[in-house]
Order: sequence, then C-alpha cells, then structure tokens
Amino acid sequence: MKTIDIPRLKEIVGEHNVKDNPADLFIYGSDASVHRALPWVVVRPDNTEQVQAILKFADEEKIPVITRGAGSGMCGQTVPLHGGITLDMKQMNRILEINPPDVYCRVEPGVVDDDLNLALKPYGVFFPPTPASSRAATIGGEIGNNASGVRSVKYGATRDSLLGMKVVLPGGKLLTLGARTRVEATGYQLHKLIVGSEGTLGVVVEATLKFVPIPKFRCLGMANFDRLEDAGHAIADIMSAGITPSMLELVDNVAIKAVNKTMNLGLPDVEAVLLYEADGMVKEAVDYEINAMKSICAKHSGEGLQSSYDAKERAKIFMGRKKLFPALSKFSELHASTSLADDMAVPYSKMAETARKIHDVAKRNNIIMTAYGHCGSGCMHTKILMETTHKDQWESARRAVAEIYEYVRSVNGTTSAEHGIGLSKAAAFKAEKADSLDIMRKIKKAFDPNNILNPGKMMDAPDDWVTATDLRYMVED
Amino acid sequence: MKTRKFELDHLLKWQNTLDKCIRCGYCYEHCPVFKHTRWESDAPRAKLIMLYGLLSSQLEPSEYMAEKIFSCFNCQQCVAACSSGVPITEILKDARADFAGTQFDTTGTTSITGSGCANCLTCVRACPHDARYFKDGHIVTDPVLCQSCGICMALCPNQSASATQTYGTDRIYLKRMITDFLQKRGAKVIVFGCNWSYYPDMQSSSYDMESSSYLSVYEQPDTEYKILINMCGGRLKTPLLLDPFLENAWGVLVACCPDGECENDGNVRAAKHVKRLKPVMESLNMNPDRIELVQIAHGDKAGFQNAIDKFMDKIRKLGPLTDEVSMNEQIRDAKSHI
Repeated sequence: MKTIDIPRLKEIVGEHNVKDNPADLFIYGSDASVHRALPWVVVRPDNTEQVQAILKFADEEKIPVITRGAGSGMCGQTVPLHGGITLDMKQMNRILEINPPDVYCRVEPGVVDDDLNLALKPYGVFFPPTPASSRAATIGGEIGNNASGVRSVKYGATRDSLLGMKVVLPGGKLLTLGARTRVEATGYQLHKLIVGSEGTLGVVVEATLKFVPIPKFRCLGMANFDRLEDAGHAIADIMSAGITPSMLELVDNVAIKAVNKTMNLGLPDVEAVLLYEADGMVKEAVDYEINAMKSICAKHSGEGLQSSYDAKERAKIFMGRKKLFPALSKFSELHASTSLADDMAVPYSKMAETARKIHDVAKRNNIIMTAYGHCGSGCMHTKILMETTHKDQWESARRAVAEIYEYVRSVNGTTSAEHGIGLSKAAAFKAEKADSLDIMRKIKKAFDPNNILNPGKMMDAPDDWVTATDLRYMVED
Repeated sequence: MKTRKFELDHLLKWQNTLDKCIRCGYCYEHCPVFKHTRWESDAPRAKLIMLYGLLSSQLEPSEYMAEKIFSCFNCQQCVAACSSGVPITEILKDARADFAGTQFDTTGTTSITGSGCANCLTCVRACPHDARYFKDGHIVTDPVLCQSCGICMALCPNQSASATQTYGTDRIYLKRMITDFLQKRGAKVIVFGCNWSYYPDMQSSSYDMESSSYLSVYEQPDTEYKILINMCGGRLKTPLLLDPFLENAWGVLVACCPDGECENDGNVRAAKHVKRLKPVMESLNMNPDRIELVQIAHGDKAGFQNAIDKFMDKIRKLGPLTDEVSMNEQIRDAKSHI
C-alpha cells in the first residue's frame, strides 16, 4: 500500500470529512456485488473546488480515486481494486435549480433519486429512470452506470434524461459538457460518454437533467401463462404492436415458487406471469393500450387476466414481484442470493428462450437461478441462489455465468442492460466488445493519462471475476 | 472497572444470516442515524458488514466499532425496509451483548446516568424494557436491554438520564426544527409523529406505483404543517409542546400509538402531557382545542393523514393565535411554571 498524505486530504475537505479507521475502510470496501477490496482512505467532498483539489492531489501522487454514491452497484464498480481514495459523494446532495419553463433541473451528484422526485413533484413532473434502488441510489451513481428501472421501456435510461453535466478530470480541470437544450448537435456528445463510464473518466459534480410530466392515469394488468414460451410470444407481440407500455415485467416459476413458499401469497403456480402497465394523461388512451395488451396476452393463452387503476389494487397485483427479493433470501437457510449475470438484455423474440436457458444452465450446474425482469426493455434479471460458503458452488457459478453470457452473445444480446460492468461482468463485456476495447482504452487514456480513476475496471478488469478480489463471503476451502 | 474478554458468543449464530444481506442499501435512508451523519459507516448495512468483518476475523473489535453498534434507536425502519428480510436490530442486540462489559464498552444512544442523580428510581420504574436498575448505590443501564427509547431521559427530574449520542432526536434539535419550519410562509401546525407507529411505512414510499397510496414526509407540501418525528411520544414533554406556540403556531397535533400497542407505554405519557397542557392553555385564553392527541395504529398512514386533515380543518377555522391573545410573554411565563 502506498503512503497517503492524509493531513493534506484533511486540509482540503476538513478533518471530519476524512475516515481511515479500519472499520470504515472495511465497510467502504464492499458494495452490492460479491467483491471486496479496501480503500486506503474515505474522503467526503462538499463542493466542486474540493473535488478539483482532491483530483489534482491524487493525479500528482498517482493515487487511485474511486467515486462512490450509495454503494448500491451490483458489479463491483465502487470496490477499490487497487486501493486508493474512495470519494464519497453523498455530501454533495443539493438540488441547484428546478426550471419548469425550460424543463430541466440541475443537481449535485449526491442527490438521492427519490429526493429529486419529491422535489419535482409539486411541479407535476418526475425524473424517469427510477431504478428499484431509487430510495438509496444517487444521481451520480445512476449516471455512472446508466441506470434504469421498470419504466425504462417507455421513459428510457439515465442517458436519455441527461442534457449536460460538469465533470472534474484528473488534475482538477473542470469541464462543462452538453447543454441545457432538448437537442444538441455541437460536436462530440461527451456528457453521453461519461454516462455508463463507471467513474473511469471523470468525477461528475453537477448534472442537468430533463424531466417529464407525471401521468394522470396509470393502469396495471396481469396475466398468467402455463408455458414460458407463450409469455415470450406475448412480450414480442406487445412490443411490435405499436403499443408503448410503461412497464412490462416477467416473473418466472422459480420466483413464483419462492414467493409462495416464503410469503404464502397464493400466486398461481404457472410457468410465467406477465405484468403490464400503461400510463398517460388521457384515460381513453391508457384504456386502449391496456386492452390491447390484454388481448395479446389472451391470444397467447394468458389466463387470470386482470387490471386496475386503483393504487391499492395495483400494489396488490404487483406484490409478488415486489416480494421477490425477500422471498429469495428466505428460500433456504443455507442459500444466499447473489448478483451475477444479473441484467443481460436480449431481443424480445428471445426472452422466453433466455429464461428457459437460464433454468437449464442453473440445473446443470447445481445452483438455483430465477429469471425475471423488465422484458419490455429486453432486460432479463437473474439472481443466483447458492451456498456461498462452499467453494464448489463458486466454481458452478463461474461456469453458469460463462454459459449464460455465451448464449446471450449468440442471440445478439448484450452483457448489461442497467447494472453496468464493474468487475463481475468484465470477461463477458470484453468478449462482446472485443473490437472496440482498444479505442475504449485510448479514450480512457485521453481523459485519465495516469490511470487514477477507478483503475482496473471494465476493459481493464481481470478476466476471472471469482478471483478478481476477495469474495465478500466466508468461502471454505 | 473490571472488563471481560471480548468473545463472539452471541453473534456466532448470525453468521449465515449476514450473508443474506444483499447489501442493496435500501436501509440507508430509513435510518435516523445515517440520515443525521450521512456517513455510510452509520447505516444499518454498514453495521452488518462490520459484524461480518468481526466474525470472519478480518476486523479486530474496537471502541470505534462499539460506538457504531451501540448507536441504534431500535426504530426497526431498517428491518421494515430490508429487501432480504434480515433481522438487523436483533443482530445488533446480540452484538451489543458481545461488546457490553468488555474494554470496548461504549454507550452510543443507550441511556446513561450522569451526575445529579437523586436515586429516586423514577427511571427504573418507568423503563419499559427493564434496562435500568439499582446496583452498588447507583442507577445503571443494561446496554443490551436498553432500546434507546428515551423514556428515562424524558422523565428524569434532574436531567441525569441522558445519552452521549442523540443523532438529531433530542429536544434541542426538535426545537430547532420547530423554529425553522414555523418561520416559513404559510406554516401553521406542528405534528409530532411517533417513530414506532407510522414513520417506517411513511418513509418507505418512493416514486413508484404505490406512491399514491403512501403518505411520505417528502410528499407533504411543506406549507401548512410539518411532521416532526419524535423517537417515542413518551419523550414529548409539556414545555416542548408549548414551544410551537411561541413561534406563532396555530396548533399542535400529537400522534402516538393506540392503547396497549406502544412498547414503551409512551402513548400514556404523551396523553398525560397533552391533558396537562389544556388547562394551562385555557388559563392563557388560548383555545385548548389547538392541541390534540390522536392514536394511530402501526402503519396506518391513511388514518394518520385523515387525522391531520381533520385537525387542519379545525385549525384553519380557529385562525391564527395572535387573534386570541398576545402570547409570547404569557407562554414563556407558563412554561417556566410547568
């Protein structure tokens, strides 16, 4: 470990904004991934000038800097592979401007997604990417990973809602990227490049985001399918029928069984459930879309068709999906739920086949996997349930993950839909983007010549995710 | 004081459970301690990670760590928010059991007895968790049983019962919040809400499909009333209930658990304080209806909202306080006599 001038960092951000107690370093060495590697120090800047000073210092000293929002990333993006400074951005959480006439807002990166939406609500608008973790996730983290959520099918991901940003480069230079206008054709759209760069190119200190009106009507429907393939056909038909659902979710039988076993919700024991939602300002328009989706589900043998505008009813319909995480955790005393190969995207016509493939791979490798997700966006989520203390289970997971990604590439899918690459998906990412890795490395070098920003991630990450860092579980030999 | 060796006697059984935490971070924004410091190390997830570090021998126990473990209000918002159903506060209780009495013993948010204690045993009798007792001529707290509810602090006649860490739940902080809010244009009413009865669910809301059925603190328009979260209705003392009127509040609504549902019997104390205040208000020519106590069942956000709406209607009809009397001097005088 390199010696680090902690008094200098305390001069920059103040004594109370620097932590180097072993317990703090251990905590900041984890995120929601399976990985663990510790930073040397945690620093919490309060403003742009402090970020500039830290990046100047770190660049001079060639110390790694890992920018961190809520630390809710699932692939090890904020795990400091080579140690260094963890830059905790949660203190920079000011909403700088809400500008309804020009339909944008400016925020600091530590603003929590839900807090932004609550501030926007009085204006009748919302910031739409809203990942499931919106209660904790920060805007900076969402930019870093191009996050999205259940409504991405209609409203897109973070990149689609970003107009511009201010970003600090290694050395401390501050750049203003993008614009405050809806469209821009002024050269390279560098702000869009920063989105999804996982803290490897710069530190975002301000973001200009657009927002959209909160719909007046929202209707959620549900259909049960005895055959996964029928649900798959319904998805493809809905998405090619000129309908724009605001949500289209698939829940597989493994998930249904887990929810029924642990929560006793009495969900029908079918192969798949589809949840479909439409929203809008005009009820007739929402009715039209919901009825169209209902008809398509019926055409593909969907049963138990129901839908509701009522918030409580909608909550009830969504309950099975909502309770999925705790259900998986309680599924078995010995198994823990891990995030691996957890957010690939595939063409609509391959959704059912992908879910089937995931089940087959899991069975062959003696692990439990569930397939669910935002199939309206082509996004398939999984969770791997395994006995994390058993070394052979990790070998199984390694094989299963490799097989799944090989399949995803074979059907022209992509490695990550919304969680990013980090460490866990580096091998699959490198295989998928093999012909552009060289140009990515050159871009990285142009922004960060000394390779201090989140080094060793994405294209530079180790190929074997199992040994890339210590696993955060107690694995027995 | 003699200390015992640190052993992981109680924590060991949670080894597998700690792996159940998927570290999603959903607990952060529900934790009053994290919300006060905004350091990840103070969030429930972080405490589980620390305990994992201890169990896997990757961390050595320390006083710093103990301070984190003993800093928890047991509000269980993290448990309600946990996406994996991890019994966080139960695990922390066992961690406290392992740390208590060792060289790393600290107090955090648990109550302590300071100088000036008259040994009147009020706190011992009142503690709903049997955490306070008389030993060797002093009143002491069992830091494992103590739930940091603050009842003892509210009742101690000499202000000897206190906590070294309050993370923004103390009366000074509440008073500051009252002043800050009532200086805003259009502000009329302070609502004291009990942390145990509705707050967890209220704060669980986010902009999603269920938001319209939720009453979130962030969703409330900060114009006419503000909900201030008190850790337990039992911690509200009469002078604090008068403070909003000093800042020209039109009314005060105190919400607490229904009879028999408060783990701390704090609702009984809150009711007493409100009852006690009514004649004081009458003596000041204030309409005693300006203060009201409502009992709301756990998680009943709709009921809570209804109670607030009803109270606001009444208060709007009563109008501002200055129409009745010129208050400040008289309220201050009344406060000093309570």
